[in-house]
Amino acid sequence: MKRFNLALRLLRRDGRSGELTLLVLALLIAVAGTSTISLFADRLQRTLSVQVAEFLAGDLVLAGSQAIDDSWRARAADLGLTQSQTTEFSSVLLENGQMLLAAIKAVGQSYPLRGILKTLEVEEGEEVTVRQGPEPGTAWVEKRILSALQLGLGDLLTVGEKPLRVTRILTYEPDKRGDFYSFSPRVVIHQADLQATGVIQPGSHVHYFYQFIGAEPQLKAFKQWLKPQLNPSQRILDIHEDRPELGSALQRAERYLGLSSIVVVLIAGVAIAMAAGRYTERHFNAAALFRCLGCRQGEILWLYTLQFLLLGALASAAGCLLGWLGQLGLFYVLKPLLPQQPADPGLLAVVFGFVTGMAILLGFALPPLLRLREVSPLRVLRRELEPLPAKAWLVYGLAIAVMSALIGRYSNDWQMTASVIGTGLLSLLVLGLLIACALSLLRPLLPRLGVIWRFGVQGLLRNRRASVSQILAFSITLAAMSLSFTVRNDLIDQWQQQLPERAPNYFALNIIPAQQPAFALDLSGAGMEGSAFYPVVRGRLVAINAEPVQKRVSKDSQGEAATQRDLSLTWAAAIPADNTLTAGEIWPQNEAGWVSVERKLADNLNIKVGDELQFTIGSEQVSARVANLRSLEWDTMKPNFYMIFSPGTLDGFPFTYLTSFYLPDAGKDLLNQLLKTYPAITVLDVDQVLKQFKTILMQLTQAIDLLLYFALAAGFAVLFAAVYATLDDRIRQAALMRTLGAKRGWLASTHLVEFGFLGALAGTMAAILQQVILYVFYSRVMHIPYRLSWLSGAALLAIGVVSVGLAGYWGVREVLNRSPMRVLRRL
Amino acid sequence: MRTHSEQGNTPIIETRNLAKSVQTLEGELHILSSVDLIIKSGESIAIVGESGSGKTTLLSLLAGLDTPSRGSVVIKGRDITRMSEDGRAALRGELVGFVFQSFQLLPALTALENVMLPLELIGDPEAEAAARVLLERVGLGRRLSHTPRQLSGGEQQRVALARAFVAGPAILFADEPTGNLDSKTGAHVIDLLFELNQERHTTLVLVTHDASLAARCGRMIRLDAGSMV
Ligand SMILES: Nc1ncnc2c1ncn2[C@@H]1O[C@H](COP(=O)(O)OP(=O)(O)O)[C@@H](O)[C@H]1O
Ligand SMILES: [Mg+2]
Repeated sequence: MKRFNLALRLLRRDGRSGELTLLVLALLIAVAGTSTISLFADRLQRTLSVQVAEFLAGDLVLAGSQAIDDSWRARAADLGLTQSQTTEFSSVLLENGQMLLAAIKAVGQSYPLRGILKTLEVEEGEEVTVRQGPEPGTAWVEKRILSALQLGLGDLLTVGEKPLRVTRILTYEPDKRGDFYSFSPRVVIHQADLQATGVIQPGSHVHYFYQFIGAEPQLKAFKQWLKPQLNPSQRILDIHEDRPELGSALQRAERYLGLSSIVVVLIAGVAIAMAAGRYTERHFNAAALFRCLGCRQGEILWLYTLQFLLLGALASAAGCLLGWLGQLGLFYVLKPLLPQQPADPGLLAVVFGFVTGMAILLGFALPPLLRLREVSPLRVLRRELEPLPAKAWLVYGLAIAVMSALIGRYSNDWQMTASVIGTGLLSLLVLGLLIACALSLLRPLLPRLGVIWRFGVQGLLRNRRASVSQILAFSITLAAMSLSFTVRNDLIDQWQQQLPERAPNYFALNIIPAQQPAFALDLSGAGMEGSAFYPVVRGRLVAINAEPVQKRVSKDSQGEAATQRDLSLTWAAAIPADNTLTAGEIWPQNEAGWVSVERKLADNLNIKVGDELQFTIGSEQVSARVANLRSLEWDTMKPNFYMIFSPGTLDGFPFTYLTSFYLPDAGKDLLNQLLKTYPAITVLDVDQVLKQFKTILMQLTQAIDLLLYFALAAGFAVLFAAVYATLDDRIRQAALMRTLGAKRGWLASTHLVEFGFLGALAGTMAAILQQVILYVFYSRVMHIPYRLSWLSGAALLAIGVVSVGLAGYWGVREVLNRSPMRVLRRL
Repeated sequence: MRTHSEQGNTPIIETRNLAKSVQTLEGELHILSSVDLIIKSGESIAIVGESGSGKTTLLSLLAGLDTPSRGSVVIKGRDITRMSEDGRAALRGELVGFVFQSFQLLPALTALENVMLPLELIGDPEAEAAARVLLERVGLGRRLSHTPRQLSGGEQQRVALARAFVAGPAILFADEPTGNLDSKTGAHVIDLLFELNQERHTTLVLVTHDASLAARCGRMIRLDAGSMV
């Protein structure tokens, strides 16, 4: 307690004299930065997942081919979860002598739990948003049902044995799923009418969906409870599996948020290390005096560690508060883009901010602090006695341990963490050596330089060790800043490529071959850009090397999903341009009997090049040998196929064409005309889904931009603070030079040269470091192709020279204007 | 406050065959060679010699701030050359006060806080009261809240004097206490030093190259190139 009081008093005295300002500033940036980001990321993620949950019409969805046990629903009710249910099946509708296969969906009273439905109350009217399905006795249908069955609003439509009145046209449902090519037009009815349709008999093909919403812990508990009890036909839908295009966007954004906070931690850590180094050096005299006055080594260390802990706790608490405000600010700025009801900020994230602050402080500040223990008491008599520099392994080891813990926590992927840290460590080592070499190369140049340049460069060489670690520190800061900038740009580019401005928003299917040329002509005549036309035969994969495919599927897998329904099979002379071969080769030209399989499905079902696949098409069997495997981006909205056959393999089977095209909002009339001309063609509207997807990407982009500015601002603040931390020595030198008669302008020039060089070296090293990290990060984490960027390297060099040069120049300049005597006395 | 009654008779510091040498690039450098010295309790002794003769080195060995290459230093019957560094620190805290040529005040602390420091480090609750009394005594009662930067050299050295005496040390080591002061200010500081020394019966070891100052001490030893002459 006595020690604690003493530490507190010493701390207060230091604080009063401004000795702590730099350290506190660095800590505040670190904690405020990380807690802003972790609070923001946590909150944004929960907000978006609510929004994304709309695509499932619930937070958690259980799908299966049987109705679930009442006890499961009771369990959900016990946990306080709200639930709803939908039942989906196909049924042939027969009206006015027309026949149509429709996808019927019976919905409960509380459907949809998440998201909305959009409908038309009159045929050419305005879209009306509703939050509930149809009343009992009524049905809502997609427009093409009406045209195909020659019905109008208000007419009766018989589903199975139950006549229902058609009261609205359905234009949007949140949880539309399945692959786009197998869609039959939708009819939505009330759950209460389901029995009366008489369609559901034992053995009929029905999908049951149960949606649940509620608080996160309860949902988690329910999911945990549910999982072991599921039978093979049941699965829990997950946004990452069910909507891969959204899932991967969200995942990348989450990783970016994680990366940003690591960048801020790293930048702030460097600043803390430098500020702590300066603090330590300025306390050598005090430590020597304490030793002289009878303090034991351990006591001195404890006294200063206590002060640091106190300082860390105070600064971390203040930083958390700033972080809270920062996060509120970010959400305020993003408000117009976000859903009405953003999730509440998580208290846990605040705690994490605090813990992060303390961890960074200890990780980066403890090694220099340890030097205070080693100060010799003899220093009171001989000022020049300095303790040995902190051990390099300790300095970097501790910092690396802290960084690993943080990266590991964000990524939850220790293998990746190890590879990032390993690469970082190796780069540090190589960079350190490079810098030392670069400095050595400068020395022989000295005699050839003009006097200003010579003095400037000599300043750099005077304390080689300090120069190396300063350059290293600046290059880490610069590299970290540029990293978040570059990754942000590439991420957003990637998204834009994935969803170009005029991404296809309509699919046309069931185009009979006889009409295809005319339809294609009409499309291009109306200025609608489309993709290629793909022939489609519906068929099911039944056996691999004569082994029934069911034996190979594992529960909940993509393979299971793909083998339980008909696939769209197509053929082509070559594989599509945006697919890439991963194994095997393209088939010999014009040779029938080959198939190309999508890689993930192949992995899932353990299909190898050369395997014999057997398909059922209608009542017939076809087999083909696997020529190659290919990977493709599922998260584009273009037609994609699991199976592509060589031309000739599927000859003789009836087929239709499929295509996708872009139709601007203003072109809906054209679409109606087309539909009238080609009544048999099914046009599928994915515009709504696309728009929603784009909105989410835009929100993520904005959020990420804000974070980027934040990280950059923190980086520059820290860079300036760090330059200031190195000034003591240089200021003393400058003051001495002035007493020896050096002119102000001359001194200013030598400093500009010295810091300019420092910045140039740091910029160059940062560019190297950045490229190495980008390479690892892209290929291992983001899975985006890497390319060397000369431009960003040059930019880093320039930024290094300008920012470090100016910061150093300004720091020293202020001193040059004062009398040298005052400067010397002050130090 | 401790008093030191056994003054004048018992030896308080005793060195035997004390030597210090260091390795330099040009080989071994002998800074001090075989110094035998007995300092009695309550005595005041001046160590004089030219610059570079080894005075500061001797002082640092006597005070246990450094360790000798050979020989021993015994303080109050305890051989400090055999103690650990922490043991010597404890002994310093208990018995020793210092005054330095360059004052060694902590710039972030006020005069009062600088003087309180030795007592605060041993957890004395009366630190502030004792420090006020001593600052009053050295004539700085009105400058308590000033930091070293706001004080003149003479004033700073008076604060250092107060700090040296505040814990009631048995021995005071002073290394050229007037070296950074002009002669008038220096004389004033020295007067104060001797007054306080007298009042508190402290043993004084004073390093100086000023003969007149050395003459005020009870005894004088001269160093020349590391040897006593
Ligand atoms: N650690 C050391 N390394 C090398 N030389 C030293 C060391 N310490 C002292 N010296 C030298 O020993 C000599 C005596 O130093 P010092 O005791 O400071 O003398 P004084 O105080 O009498 O001026 C000087 O020449 C000094 O340069
Ligand atoms: Mg000396």
